[in-house]
Amino acid sequence: MAAAPIRIKLRCKSWAQLKAIYERDLSRSAVFLKASTPPPLGTKVTIDLTLPSGSLIVLNGSVTDHVGAGGLQGRGPGVDIGLGTVPQSAMWLIETALRSAKDKPGPGPHSAGPTQASMEDGAEVINAEDDLIAALKQEFESARRLNPFQVLNCEYNATDPQVRAAFGELTRKYHPDRFARFQSQEARQYASEIFILIRDAYRKLGTETARQQTLQVLQNKPTPTRGTRKAAEAKPSATPARSLGDVRGGPAAAPAFTPRAPSKRAADAEGSQPIDLGGSPGSGGGLAAAEALLAAGEYDNAMRAYQLAARKDPGDRNAKAGIELVEGLRALTVRDRLEAAQRFEAVLELDPNNERAARELAEMRRIATNERKGLLGRLLGKKE
Amino acid sequence: MGKIIGIDLGTTNSCVAVLDDRGTPKVLSDSTGERTTPSIAAWTPEGVLVGHAARRQAVTNPQHTIFGTKRLIGRKVNADEVSWFARSVPFRIVAAPNGDAWVRVRNEIRSPQEVSSHIMARMRRIAETSLGEPVTQAVVTVPAYFDDAQRQATRDSGSIAGLDVVRILNEPTAAALAYGAHRVKEGRRVIGVFDLGGGTFDVSIMSVEDGIFEVFATNGDTALGGDDWDRRVIEKLADEIFDEHRVDVCGIPVALGRLKEAAEKAKRDLTHQNETIIRLPYLAPTEAGSDQVHIERTITRDEFGDATADLIDRLRIPCERALKDAALAPGEIEEVLLVGGMSRSPAVQQMVEQIFETKPSKGANPDEIVACGAAAQGGILAGELDDAALLDVAAHSIGIRVGDSAFSTIIPRNSMLPARTRKLFATTMDNQKFVQIDIYQGEESDIRANRKLGEIRLEELPSGKKGEVKIELSITANVESILEVRARELKTGKETRVRLAPSGGLSPEEIQHIIERRRREENTDDGAQGSD
Repeated sequence: MAAAPIRIKLRCKSWAQLKAIYERDLSRSAVFLKASTPPPLGTKVTIDLTLPSGSLIVLNGSVTDHVGAGGLQGRGPGVDIGLGTVPQSAMWLIETALRSAKDKPGPGPHSAGPTQASMEDGAEVINAEDDLIAALKQEFESARRLNPFQVLNCEYNATDPQVRAAFGELTRKYHPDRFARFQSQEARQYASEIFILIRDAYRKLGTETARQQTLQVLQNKPTPTRGTRKAAEAKPSATPARSLGDVRGGPAAAPAFTPRAPSKRAADAEGSQPIDLGGSPGSGGGLAAAEALLAAGEYDNAMRAYQLAARKDPGDRNAKAGIELVEGLRALTVRDRLEAAQRFEAVLELDPNNERAARELAEMRRIATNERKGLLGRLLGKKE
Repeated sequence: MGKIIGIDLGTTNSCVAVLDDRGTPKVLSDSTGERTTPSIAAWTPEGVLVGHAARRQAVTNPQHTIFGTKRLIGRKVNADEVSWFARSVPFRIVAAPNGDAWVRVRNEIRSPQEVSSHIMARMRRIAETSLGEPVTQAVVTVPAYFDDAQRQATRDSGSIAGLDVVRILNEPTAAALAYGAHRVKEGRRVIGVFDLGGGTFDVSIMSVEDGIFEVFATNGDTALGGDDWDRRVIEKLADEIFDEHRVDVCGIPVALGRLKEAAEKAKRDLTHQNETIIRLPYLAPTEAGSDQVHIERTITRDEFGDATADLIDRLRIPCERALKDAALAPGEIEEVLLVGGMSRSPAVQQMVEQIFETKPSKGANPDEIVACGAAAQGGILAGELDDAALLDVAAHSIGIRVGDSAFSTIIPRNSMLPARTRKLFATTMDNQKFVQIDIYQGEESDIRANRKLGEIRLEELPSGKKGEVKIELSITANVESILEVRARELKTGKETRVRLAPSGGLSPEEIQHIIERRRREENTDDGAQGSD
């Protein structure tokens, strides 16, 4: 009996339709819905009734009657949903709106034949909404592990205007007001959580002084990078660095790393001599070369460099991470996002501080959210 | 989807706007072409009158003509501001059972929410007539310095008017939004908004860049506005009349009503001329009752200035605090936007120039810009305005009680919303069974001077020595400053959550009761007044 209620989104396209629902159904504290396969009596139903003006009224009830074909003044077959008490202010909202609709010239209440509401109403919207919620949830889970620079998607040497521009762009996408027209409480909640991460990051990076402090904090973390790589390897694979983020929350507790300006790496790669792949011994040098190749976009060469390093030291997690990273980037070039996301996740498993994977993954999450948000927006329709 | 209208529910005048098809805010006028409506509702034997019609009959029906409800809404009758206000109005302000300030009209007591709902319903009707379709959603503005009870009470007024108030928006922010929405391509600008309305004063410092409106700081005085300037004139004349004729005109509703109207007119005259004459023949009977008091008196701008100099001084401190909170020097403000009717006063403008070291801009219509901003925010919420976003701040600090009466800030004022802060606490006794945290709003270090918003209790704590059991308190303020509080014991993960839904003073049953009463009054009220 604890099953989730059936959700139905009833969008009134016209005031005439609302009037019909109001007069035939709401006034007797029930809603009739067409249904080809009626759910059992007692099934809980939640109806999101959207007025033509966009106001939402949530009606809760349960299936009280199966109406046979032609029953209920020829409206059957379908189910009758008995409603609990409808909030009076909601009824008042409908009544005042209908009264003013009645006064208006133009398409009167009887001109448009109201279409019958059905059990399947709003199914595509519900699906799109669920997809959006899932995307937002994934994005939030991924974003909370990022450091402030990664959250705002800006470089470690970004200037004030660059930080502001990055913040502005994300604000236009994630500010809670941007989700106000989506009626799902859950979607709005996740968007709000993501925006809190964004505004916290902005607070930490908004000014030069704040940025320097933030960099300092990030650098002073006991980081399992470079010099301490061996120590990190000794730990079991479930490194506590990430779970710390879950306990404390907030970007401050995000995985530690050593900031390196990505743009500088790219510049190094361009200006450097041809790199001797087999040359310098020691995985450190080999990895640096591989990173440079990666930054320069030479995936095949980077892959060879990482593979070489992995062969030299089969326990080198960073080399393995590099291989996954290249695979992920290759997947991205052929638009295989699922594969790419899995690869990037694998990179972060092996090397929680991998800058490139974290950023690529964050960007993919943002794209996914935006696509779903766009789809839902189109389904709801901006204007009639 | 229908339109979300923007309503500026002012102390003296109200205004409604909506986004047109090109996304530009447009003020809607009533059937007689008026773009603002006096925030006045009058109860007459024929029914309720609103706006201009109510104002026209005010002189003959002063005790049942209610204005300035914005000064009462969400407030206790014993608040200083309410007492001051009550002294100079011809209608009765009384205490509701819960201590709120209500008004007595035709032997019934009514809440300011109900009075305001008539004005709100009128704004809705103006919009419906212009748009030719029903309107159910509105963004309504309030002074930035309104507390949560005043905000909720305003929202309740909307429900009573059959409106779904989708956002309560701060007035100065709304003004900035209207001002900046079509200046997207001009680069970054740091602006000040100086909003001196009929009854409230707000000042906000913010930046506008590429459609992003970021408020840095807000300050104000919810009990300072143009009415106070009027009242100085009223008090001055009343004192003179008393000295000369031994008649207390403040005790005679009709006389007080006329005096108020004359004072308002004099104030407006003095914004553009150096002197004005107040003429009030047959104002009141003399002490003996045999004769009438007639007033004919010239007031000069200097005299008016002297009588109101302290009011001008009161504008300074909120501005300086806002600048300090925004960490900006006066010279760094590139432009100051004037909002509210009282900002037309030359003395006020002079003060603004002195404080901010820049000439205030007079481009926008101070009576309409707030409603336009509210309409723009409606467009943002409806998804019609894609490029703009408004980042407002918490006007008051949120904190908790520590020890007996000390206030410890959790979310400081002027934090960008939404905001979340976590704090870790430890038990203070061995084997402490529960912990209760009281949440307050305000700026005073002594919590007794702040407003209590609610409390959260976490029971059945695990046993442990004092200081060993740790509780994490997390307070989240959403875009409208509504709080969600969570307390979690760290070892067991046991937690409680509370949403501190603000109360505007009316219970759902009372709102329901008013709605039912309005159903009965409906025909005499909004319906009959299509032709105002």
